[in-house]
Amino acid sequence: MTEKNRFKTFSITLISVWLILLVLVPTLMVLAVSLMTSNTPGEISPVFTLNNYKAIRDPLFLQVLADSFEMAFVTTALCLLIGYPFAYNLSKYRGKFKSLLLVLIIIPFWTSSLIRTYAIIIIIKTNGVLNGALMALGIIDEPLRLMYTETAVLVGMVYSLLPFMILPLYAVLEKLDGKLIEAAKDLGAGRMRTFWHVVLPLSMPGVIAGSMLVFLPTLCLFYISDVLGGAKSLLIGNFIRNQFLLTRNWPMGAAASMILTVIMFVIIYIYYRSTKKTGGEAI
Amino acid sequence: MKRLIFAILLCLLASSAFAKEVVYVYNWSEYIPEQVLSNFEKETGIKVIYTTYDSNEVMYSKVKVLGGKGYDVIFPSTYYVNRMQKEGLLTPLNRKLLPNFKNMDTSLLNKEYDMGNKYSVPYLWGSTSLAINSDFVDAKKANTYRILWDSKYKGKVILTDDLREVFHIALRILGYSGNETDPEKIKKAYELLRKLRPNVRVYNSDSPKVPFINGEVTLGLTFNGEMYAAAQENPSIKYIYPKEGAIFWVDSMCIPKGSKNVANAHKFINYIMKPEVAKMISEEVGYPSPNKAGVALLDKSVRTNPTIYPPLSIIKQGEFQLDVGDAIKVYEKYWNMLKSGK
Repeated sequence: MTEKNRFKTFSITLISVWLILLVLVPTLMVLAVSLMTSNTPGEISPVFTLNNYKAIRDPLFLQVLADSFEMAFVTTALCLLIGYPFAYNLSKYRGKFKSLLLVLIIIPFWTSSLIRTYAIIIIIKTNGVLNGALMALGIIDEPLRLMYTETAVLVGMVYSLLPFMILPLYAVLEKLDGKLIEAAKDLGAGRMRTFWHVVLPLSMPGVIAGSMLVFLPTLCLFYISDVLGGAKSLLIGNFIRNQFLLTRNWPMGAAASMILTVIMFVIIYIYYRSTKKTGGEAI
Repeated sequence: MKRLIFAILLCLLASSAFAKEVVYVYNWSEYIPEQVLSNFEKETGIKVIYTTYDSNEVMYSKVKVLGGKGYDVIFPSTYYVNRMQKEGLLTPLNRKLLPNFKNMDTSLLNKEYDMGNKYSVPYLWGSTSLAINSDFVDAKKANTYRILWDSKYKGKVILTDDLREVFHIALRILGYSGNETDPEKIKKAYELLRKLRPNVRVYNSDSPKVPFINGEVTLGLTFNGEMYAAAQENPSIKYIYPKEGAIFWVDSMCIPKGSKNVANAHKFINYIMKPEVAKMISEEVGYPSPNKAGVALLDKSVRTNPTIYPPLSIIKQGEFQLDVGDAIKVYEKYWNMLKSGK
């Protein structure tokens, strides 16, 4: 018993220290810097100010924020649209390839996502694999202009984040009690009705968890928009990087990243509340 | 467990006791042949600890945060030398320890960013200017940056992902200096650049030759070394010096203030200035060398190629970038507007 308790104390202490040192302290430092003044580039003077947060109301920053959210929203919707049917069918599948199918979702993680993003270029560039194949088949006469467009950015984002949507959905759908579906059928519900009133509500925790796992990283994955979109649009991640490296206005960059942190907290809180309401459990 | 800790301590002690002379070199990525480093180690017995960065901003931030400690040789570009020197981040060079300085091309010394080269020695230099693919763009009309604005080239233009360079060409078209600090003039340049937006396909500073070779873009603002390499694959790709003048830059070797191996740093810089080493670097990296004796060793076809080694008149027509101080905030504001506008 004491041995077990000691193990418990040890592991909890380890995680607490880890989180305090590497998450809480840096976040508080960022918060502190965001409330300071920067008179000359690169210098921070410890004079309290809220100006950095006021500057956020600048229509430019709001535009950047809106663009980032739009991108994140569309990516999440696409991932859900593609990921849900896949996860649903995978959970229903009883054949011998089930574990292989699951491994296939995870395999891309064996390579750095930056390298995979560069690999997409080889496929979609003007004289790339895709255009070559379509032209050889006579489907198109002129190469499609995919590279450095918003479509390319979306392809890259959805491709990189799809597994984060599929895995939580699969976890929930796999555990779904088949008897409930049978009961719905017995009571005369059609397939659509069963889905809308039984399967979908019960899989909501997975939908929400998957959506969060896709939505939040999309806000920060600016390299995908830089590499595939030609660095033409400014996302919140680019904005923060520019504040730190280019104008060297650290307090302003810190304020922008604090706002992002707060937005993420709000989203996580909404998620927390919604899982409580639906009675589901967090994944 | 105790034995393990003891063993580790012993190893640490041993390695510091037998530590060889070292020099910490912090350079741009893909900017030196591996062989230069190993030859230097063989010749001097000084071990090179080599790390890389991909932008001046990153290098500057690290050196600044560390208070100039941690590195012995760094390679800031043009006006960063001047900025870092003003902020007391650089050690003056001891010319007596750099006898090979005599090999340097005097036309690339004594620039505004470091008069008298007290803090810096040029490493490589180059230019940013207009490039076209002559299969799609009429080379005769490409004597001005204005060609980029031609509505014929919708979605066909590449620009560097560098706000100073992009504003530089707009400022020059308007007849101003590329180092302008007047907010009104920068605003006018922004208004001009807004009109360029529909034509811009991509901003790329990492490897601008790729969209050119892949056929995604047919003209734009880019680097001479990249276009020299692109022309080897597709001879239709041409590098041009338009009438408004090219942007010139020099990457220099400097010793940060907190360097612990100042003598070794001088040895390293002096080694790089050897003619045969300068030749090897320029050949492999593809950018022009400021080392006159080294250039003389190069193949004639390279030495006289105007893409790499432009004539002096072209250099005089162009402009070197300088620190714009606080005006960088004005540039950044308009740059953000340029990129976020719909």
